[in-house]
Amino acid sequence: MWRIAIAMLLGDKPKYLALVCGLAFAVLLISQQCAIFMGLLIRSTGPLQNVRQADLWVTDPAIKWISETRNLAESDLQRIRSVPGVLWAEPFFTGRAAADLPSGATRIVNLIGIDRTTMVGQPPLVTAGRLEDLRIEGGVLVEESSRAKLDNVSIGDTLKLNDKRAVVVGYCQAKPGFDSPAVVYTTFANAITFQPLGRNTVPYILVKVKPEVGVEAVRASINALPGVKALTWSELNAITIRFILIETGIGINFFITVLLGLVVGLAVSGAIFYQFTMENARAYAVLKAMGTKNWKLIGMVLIQAAWVGLIGYGIGVGLTGLFTLQSRRPGTELAALFPWQLLVGAFVGMIACISVGSFLSLQKVLRLEPGVVFK
Amino acid sequence: MILPHANPDPASTVRLPETAVSLRGVTKAFGSGNLTVHALRGIDLDLAAGQLVMLVGPSGCGKTTLVSVISGVLDADAGQCKLFGVDWKSLSGEQKTARRAELVGFVFQSFNLLAPLSAWQNVAVPLIIRGMSQAQAKGPACDALAAVGLGDRTEARPSQLSGGMQQRVAIARALVGKPRLLVCDEPTAALDAKTGQTVMDLILAASKRVDDQGRGCCVIVVTHDNRIFHYADRIEEMEDGRFKEAPADFIIAEARHHT
Repeated sequence: MWRIAIAMLLGDKPKYLALVCGLAFAVLLISQQCAIFMGLLIRSTGPLQNVRQADLWVTDPAIKWISETRNLAESDLQRIRSVPGVLWAEPFFTGRAAADLPSGATRIVNLIGIDRTTMVGQPPLVTAGRLEDLRIEGGVLVEESSRAKLDNVSIGDTLKLNDKRAVVVGYCQAKPGFDSPAVVYTTFANAITFQPLGRNTVPYILVKVKPEVGVEAVRASINALPGVKALTWSELNAITIRFILIETGIGINFFITVLLGLVVGLAVSGAIFYQFTMENARAYAVLKAMGTKNWKLIGMVLIQAAWVGLIGYGIGVGLTGLFTLQSRRPGTELAALFPWQLLVGAFVGMIACISVGSFLSLQKVLRLEPGVVFK
Repeated sequence: MILPHANPDPASTVRLPETAVSLRGVTKAFGSGNLTVHALRGIDLDLAAGQLVMLVGPSGCGKTTLVSVISGVLDADAGQCKLFGVDWKSLSGEQKTARRAELVGFVFQSFNLLAPLSAWQNVAVPLIIRGMSQAQAKGPACDALAAVGLGDRTEARPSQLSGGMQQRVAIARALVGKPRLLVCDEPTAALDAKTGQTVMDLILAASKRVDDQGRGCCVIVVTHDNRIFHYADRIEEMEDGRFKEAPADFIIAEARHHT
């Protein structure tokens, strides 16, 4: 019977295409918006993604997210270094700076400052030049994909960061932040020159715990100190994501868009599928009169729904996949992340969409009087 | 009324006619209150296997309701309606459906072929309903099409066939499962005279056919078409939900005229 069901479905090509397109659009809207949302969330933790050497991030207890914290004093750095169990503790700078470009344009960049001696917090990969050259006064590494946004500056070029001279000493690869897709690395000392912060100059202190001492014990010791808070990588990640979700309004706005996608999918596919069933009601009545059992008719409707649902789903997630691949291109402004959980979520959304149409159609088919075939 | 030419070829029909349909006091009404329409008012009827019976009468007299009740498509409100000895009322919904699939073939006025399916796929539907795979059903379906003269149009879609051809496909579909009761609702209404004769020849042949166990098929034809009355072994005229004592004179005259 499934062949008959599919033949009936494919027999009405305009409705078939409308159903598949409606479902594909709904799945695309749901999955793509979720992918962008997750991409933006991950982007918000970009500076955190680039640093994996530290066990703990120490900052002010009033921290809101990675890009918004109150700076610590240099004396705090010494206090942390003296905590038992700390192997090393180094300053880490993350902040924004206005870059005056050779063309005369201005661009906000994400400025990362790392310790000039140990280079803790360094970019994941230096692709041109030498990391050590950051020690040159005003030396900066420009993240590769950011070059296009910074007038394609080359090694040796100069630009101004907050009106102070910076010289490009190399290129690196690193994940961009939420504030700006352009990322520039320099030393901590250079960073606080580019962006003077007053008395307190240390946004973060990166801490490595001695192998023989537990991270929890050291964290407890640091948290016992007044005016500082030690966070693990996961905690800082969660704080940042929670802030973006709640404080920026992005969460509710994306939720509304995803909900709209679901509603559009439910309404469009439900209405078209029900209309398709109505137009085939006589065919179902004939099958019923000829002795087709109800469970076989249910199977036929569900097979039709599953067929259009799976094809629509495939097209929808396929397009989202292509979009996600585009977002991986260096220098792109697009932000998207497409984990397997999103595939499952979009699948559930698709099931919800076709369930409405199937339910309405089944109501019609099961209540159909076979006697209508004589009319 | 039993016509004089009934069972013209005794050798080709069942020797001891089996009662195919037995109705006693069958009533059926639609609607309620002042709007109630009494479609059947206490129908008594016995039909034998191997007979071609025509139900005639004006529109709204209850012919279609009667065949719907006989074929188990519609439940009677009261009375007894037996098909080959089994009262439809004694069966559950699923059992009725299964019995229809096993015993009843339908030919409709508007053919009711499934447009997206080819001719042989349409004919195969009753076999697929009974549980055959499409591959298993293809052979018998093509044979049934050949039997109605459409062996060369097995792959054609209904839209590629004339009205007469579509009705022949519908007859092949009705007969492919070797039904014991064939219900034909206005089978020639949408056809020209010549095509109508061809279709009726096929339906007549079905009524004379016996299966491997020597059992005949009862054929009920609901019709207004006086050009085909002479095919009937028996004609029953209905009026206002009842059978008339005898069919009108013109019906008998038409039937005898063509004999």
